[in-house]
Amino acid sequence: MTDSKTLAYINMYAVLGTLENLCELDEEARGLLKNKKMISIGLDVAGGPAATLYFKNGYCRMEDGCSPDCTIKMGFSSCEKFNGMIDGTVTPIPSKGLLHLGFLLKSFMPLTDLLAKYMRPEPEALEDEHFFEISTKLMFYTITVAIAQIANHDAIGRFSASHIVDGDIYMGIKGACAATVRAKNHHLVTIKKDCGNRRSMMEFCDIHLARDLFDGKVNAVACIGEGTISMGGMISMIDNVNRILDRVALYLA
Amino acid sequence: MAMKINTYTKSREWFDRATKVIPSGVYGHLGPAEGNFMPVTSFPLMGDHAQGSYFWDVDGNRFVDYMCAYGPNVLGYNDPDVDAAALEQMKKGNLMTSPSYKMVELAELMVDTIASADWAFFAKNGNDVTSGAVMAARAATHRKKIVFVNGFYHGVSPWTQKIDYPGILPEDVANNLYIDWNDFDQLEQVFAENEGEIAAFISTPYLHGNYFDNQLPADGYWQKVRELCTKNGTALIVDDVRAGFRLDIAGSDHFYGFEADMICFCKAIANGYNVSCLCGKDWLKSAVSSLSYTGSYWYSAVPFAAGIACINKLKALDAPALFKEKATKLTEGLKQAAADNGFHLVVSGEPALFYLRLADDDSLFIHQDWIQECVRRGVFFAGHHNHFMNASLSDEDIAFTLEVADDAFKAIRPKYK
Repeated sequence: MTDSKTLAYINMYAVLGTLENLCELDEEARGLLKNKKMISIGLDVAGGPAATLYFKNGYCRMEDGCSPDCTIKMGFSSCEKFNGMIDGTVTPIPSKGLLHLGFLLKSFMPLTDLLAKYMRPEPEALEDEHFFEISTKLMFYTITVAIAQIANHDAIGRFSASHIVDGDIYMGIKGACAATVRAKNHHLVTIKKDCGNRRSMMEFCDIHLARDLFDGKVNAVACIGEGTISMGGMISMIDNVNRILDRVALYLA
Repeated sequence: MAMKINTYTKSREWFDRATKVIPSGVYGHLGPAEGNFMPVTSFPLMGDHAQGSYFWDVDGNRFVDYMCAYGPNVLGYNDPDVDAAALEQMKKGNLMTSPSYKMVELAELMVDTIASADWAFFAKNGNDVTSGAVMAARAATHRKKIVFVNGFYHGVSPWTQKIDYPGILPEDVANNLYIDWNDFDQLEQVFAENEGEIAAFISTPYLHGNYFDNQLPADGYWQKVRELCTKNGTALIVDDVRAGFRLDIAGSDHFYGFEADMICFCKAIANGYNVSCLCGKDWLKSAVSSLSYTGSYWYSAVPFAAGIACINKLKALDAPALFKEKATKLTEGLKQAAADNGFHLVVSGEPALFYLRLADDDSLFIHQDWIQECVRRGVFFAGHHNHFMNASLSDEDIAFTLEVADDAFKAIRPKYK
């Protein structure tokens, strides 16, 4: 009960988009980009998403749309092909910027490998508190961005979004990280910070609880009773975001 | 003197025990998640006993209860007349291989009481009778589609849920059509687009959904709906599970001046003894007879006896008039308390099932804060659900409630200057 177009949007903005946060949080990631001049990778998926990743001296940011000025361009004939690149079954060939193949091989691919290490960690790796923290924060950003993609593209997600009134939904892990899911006319956008003007909120009490939720070890309804998740404001917004969250697990499984 | 502020040590202990053996500890409408306990530390989690308009939690905190167990407490907890009838029947026999004649007596009373009823069919919960009504409509019309009003709640069976709910398949709700409340033009359009396919239109008598002000029917709305359903051979089902007996002893369709084809009752029939009832018109009696639809406890006689006593007492008290009078006094006082403290309280819906919303922000944070301060002081209001009046509520209870409301407003005022 998933569709490849929605998955492509998730892969673009929620998975590759998390490279931004990886570079903020992980020293090794920053090291891969250290002293690099600005280089950009344009990703253009026919019938799906398009975005540009900019890398410069240890940092990464993603912008919507495939910039005509991108250094390297990778086009995909379908959402399935793009999803294949993400799961490693399709090898992309750049249509522009072949001279920068070295960046793709020596920087971009190690970065995505590093992201995969955090996103699909070995159980023993999580025993290291620092690794655990980065991994959980990256999952948080991936999930919160995926919420918006599912709300905008998945048929059932759109049904949930159709019941979300306008305003900002704060989602956060207490003392760790925050995001704002902004709803307008039932279209959702995730901003990876607390924008401060909440119409509703859902906060996990700590990073360990958040991890258990992401891993499906605990349930949000039970956590509300236990007081480890707090919520407030326009609860119908939270209610419908939770329904979308169910589908995030389906897509990211 | 400062008001007592509740603490919930034992509630928490019991809740923690519950989570070990019950999914989410307390599930559903009485649980902290669905019940919108914000924050959960301000609310009782386990009850100990109840009497009249009050319940006490396991920590010994007393609450003036405006949720009435979400409706069943209509006369007052432990009403002596209802309990006596139930006890007498319990001694004679409850669930037997032959149903008790009390079932017939209650059916006769329902048919005599409910204006639109030609027959009565009993089950246990509201969901049983809304589901039965939909099945009967489909059986009678040989049609698939059901029209709902957005913001509806008709129970928990898959057909009553939404496509994005856990455990629900698209196929479960494939024949559901949705319109907005009071939008007759939209309903007419849906009927035109699905000509000959709509088995039933199901709706509560007015829109008492959550998180928004409750909405009464526009003038002439129900009469036009009635005419449209009749013209199209569609069954008009009124879900009176929530409002039944509180607006009008003869049914909420009677209250709004029309007749349903089927009308569903549950909460207020028997003052807490579990029975639900589907009433309907003659033309659907045969369809209901044809259903394969029953349950192990649907014939228990104690609730039938309790129901007879409860309905007769509601009639004797003219309970709907009583509810309206008391609720109006209460809600006018609450609005005044809000105004005295610089807040704006909106009261919506019918008085007997009043819905509250503080309109001082569009996020409901202030409203939630006030609600939890009331609960901590011993008045159980719900954050985002209509409330329920019961006949035992006294003027002293109302006066205490208004004191609490005022104190709660004063407690939150400094935070929202």
